Amino acid sequence: MQADDRLKALFAHDEPLMRDPAFATAVMERVMRRRFLEDVALLCVVSLVGGAVFWVVWPTLQPALVAVSQGLAPALGAFAMAICAMVILGGRPSSDLGLGT
Amino acid sequence: MGPASLDEALVAAAQGGSAEAFSRLVERHQQALRAFLRRTCGDWAQADDLAQETFLAAWSRIGRLKAGASVRAWLCGIGYNKHLSAVRSAGRERARASVYEADRETTQDALPEDRLALERAMAGLPQEQRACVALCLAAEFSHAEAAEALGMPLGTVKSHVSRGRARLLQALGVCDDAS
Repeated sequence: MQADDRLKALFAHDEPLMRDPAFATAVMERVMRRRFLEDVALLCVVSLVGGAVFWVVWPTLQPALVAVSQGLAPALGAFAMAICAMVILGGRPSSDLGLGT
Repeated sequence: MGPASLDEALVAAAQGGSAEAFSRLVERHQQALRAFLRRTCGDWAQADDLAQETFLAAWSRIGRLKAGASVRAWLCGIGYNKHLSAVRSAGRERARASVYEADRETTQDALPEDRLALERAMAGLPQEQRACVALCLAAEFSHAEAAEALGMPLGTVKSHVSRGRARLLQALGVCDDAS
């Protein structure tokens, strides 16, 4: 198969480097940028939906919250801080909210 | 761990959200994908841009990759579709051919004669034939693997490879020892 070998040898000149850290870094920069934008978009959507839900249920929720807030406020505050710390220091919002990757 | 099982492990980790695993997949397959796109586009800078776009798309679609599937063929398939979209959307095929020729003119002195002849012959092949040749003759894909990557029937791939090979050998003035 001399002809095929010759073709293969000529094609070999088009081969990029086997290891090209600059290319891999450029790709991963774009991947991470996209991931960041997806996270921001997800947090925006969650915030908007959460805000809308609260706006709808607030008239019903408010009296109940006032009634229980005296007792539960410290515990809820600590819980909210723990969630915030987990999101900021640990995983990603999507996985923390159980929405996959 | 063999290359296929390493790929499988990396894909599984990337599907779980590991950017590090995906980065290793990029390192492992960038050479094959970029070489394929260079041969298909003819324009190395554009081929590298398309390769980056391909990896970005692959990151978004990694969840759809079935266990045991060839990562290399999957990436080349995405890359080929990206190439076709770029050609179609901008109607750039003619422009690219002229750029391709212009590039060849500027580098002509530095290239051996038969490499130039090969590149010109590749540029003259129809799009699908060029892709089949780039995978099967240059990158050692099997016909079945190329058919899967390019989304073409097996017989079509075989016929493209056979015709493309004949045209390249003719351009190089090489006697076809297979016929």
